[in-house]
Amino acid sequence: MTHRGTRWGSVVMGVMLFALYVFLYAPVFYVIFASFSADIVWPFPPAFSAMSYEDLFASSLYGGALVNSLTLGIGSAVLSTLLATGGAIGILRYRARWRGLALLLFLAPLFVAELLIGISTLAFNAKVLDLQGNMYSAIAANAIPGTSFAFLIILSQLVRYDWAMDDAAMVFGAGPLRCFLEITLPIIWPCLFGAFLISFILAFNNLEISFYNLGAIPTLPSVAWGSLRFGLGPELFALASMVNFVVFAIFAIMYVLMRYRIVQFGYRGP
Amino acid sequence: MAADSWIRLTHRPQWRFAFLAGPGALFIVIALLLPLLTIVVFSFWRTESYEIYADWNLDNYRLLLGEAAYRIFFLRSLITSVLVSLACLVIAWPIAYFIARYGGRYRLLLVLLLAAPFFTGIILRVTGLQALFGPIGLINMALGEFGIPPIGALMYTQFAAGVGLVYLYVPFMVTAIYLSLVNFNFELLEVAKINGAHPWRAFIEITWPLNWIGTAIGLVLVFIPCLASAVTQRFLGGPQATSFGMSLAQQFGETGTWALGSAMGVFLFFASLVVILAMRRTIDLKRSGFTGVINQ
Repeated sequence: MTHRGTRWGSVVMGVMLFALYVFLYAPVFYVIFASFSADIVWPFPPAFSAMSYEDLFASSLYGGALVNSLTLGIGSAVLSTLLATGGAIGILRYRARWRGLALLLFLAPLFVAELLIGISTLAFNAKVLDLQGNMYSAIAANAIPGTSFAFLIILSQLVRYDWAMDDAAMVFGAGPLRCFLEITLPIIWPCLFGAFLISFILAFNNLEISFYNLGAIPTLPSVAWGSLRFGLGPELFALASMVNFVVFAIFAIMYVLMRYRIVQFGYRGP
Repeated sequence: MAADSWIRLTHRPQWRFAFLAGPGALFIVIALLLPLLTIVVFSFWRTESYEIYADWNLDNYRLLLGEAAYRIFFLRSLITSVLVSLACLVIAWPIAYFIARYGGRYRLLLVLLLAAPFFTGIILRVTGLQALFGPIGLINMALGEFGIPPIGALMYTQFAAGVGLVYLYVPFMVTAIYLSLVNFNFELLEVAKINGAHPWRAFIEITWPLNWIGTAIGLVLVFIPCLASAVTQRFLGGPQATSFGMSLAQQFGETGTWALGSAMGVFLFFASLVVILAMRRTIDLKRSGFTGVINQ
């Protein structure tokens, strides 16, 4: 019964999706490819070597930067997800007077460029609070856009949530916390996970906000920025490749879980 | 008795709301609005040899509006952002539609695959792009092997910077449109078909208007960072591509003129605000299909 035009349309759209993946991953694969080659400036024809990985493990700078990036990413993602979850549930569930204002505040960071968040938090920290660059400022500053993105993701998924289920549980005497843990959370966790992941990715590799808030603390992006002056170190390519291997492994696991329907990740179709 | 009235108080929806949404709202006020206010104040101050002094004046704005260089930087950033946003719109719509409609149970995975390149930092990805586009990049060297002259447009031009920006921000656009489309009722299209509407007409009259809010959010999400972008132009744009963001970052970096930088930041903020308000005017909530939050 499918319209012939729509079938062709879906093929064209599928091809476009594939082309976008190729476009998005070409530089990433280039980085991985170059990390295994002997000469990263012009790695053709391929001459494989694991030199850059040996250099990576011999150096302490990159390990420290990776740990800092992870701390920043996890701290910021936890903060973002907590604030955004509370905000999304509060705004969707209760007809409070300040609902419009709260919605505006939660979405406001989306409309402020990262560079602007970076310089304004720098100015505020340095001149008003008299703070040097530190990890806590950076976590907070990265959580600003993180909260908005997490909020948007959670909101878009929670719009269809049926609060009558919670009301039913409350009628039978469940407290708000128990109700959240036993009814709401098991249903909405995939979107909380998505929100956490997105805010983690944004903070983990943020350059413009972190740069102005971290002072001399190195993270992966700032090490990359610093080493550009001397030409990018092959160690950096190796480290980025290893991060990507972890990411691809997580996606492969997710695919297997979805393939065998162990976890649905929010999908409630046939 | 006191405990009892406390419990009754916390059961009131207003208090529940304040408890849930309050921390986040307060966080945004302290972490975002106060710093923005700080640079508004600084923009009326004066910097001298890397120190900022509180004598109120309008010199920063006078310099910003009077100097031709800043006007050119801003116009360049503005035109780039408009073109990049439109390019992202055209690329993202069919892709988001495909994922939402035909992605089935792999929908989330397909969207996350678009976000995964973000794990490789912006600098490494831009370097990767440079390695593909540049004079000794993969594309031009491969063309050289076949005796074809290299594509000049891809080497250190504003076009290359634009391609770089599309590369960086198109996932945001796809995600925004996708999040709108997963809440869109595709059965409406069946109804349109039964009533004899051509797929294109159904798209223009039903799908597009009902998903305009998500699309508008996507456009803003691409436009705002593009207007402020600095890194991409710096690496891909060549000498003719100095952007407003690059110049702004310089005021807070090399030259240390924080007051002028703050004025540029304020100017950038208001330019973004104008665009957001213009987009806001195009949104008709009654015809949005997004009735969950506002019209409950």
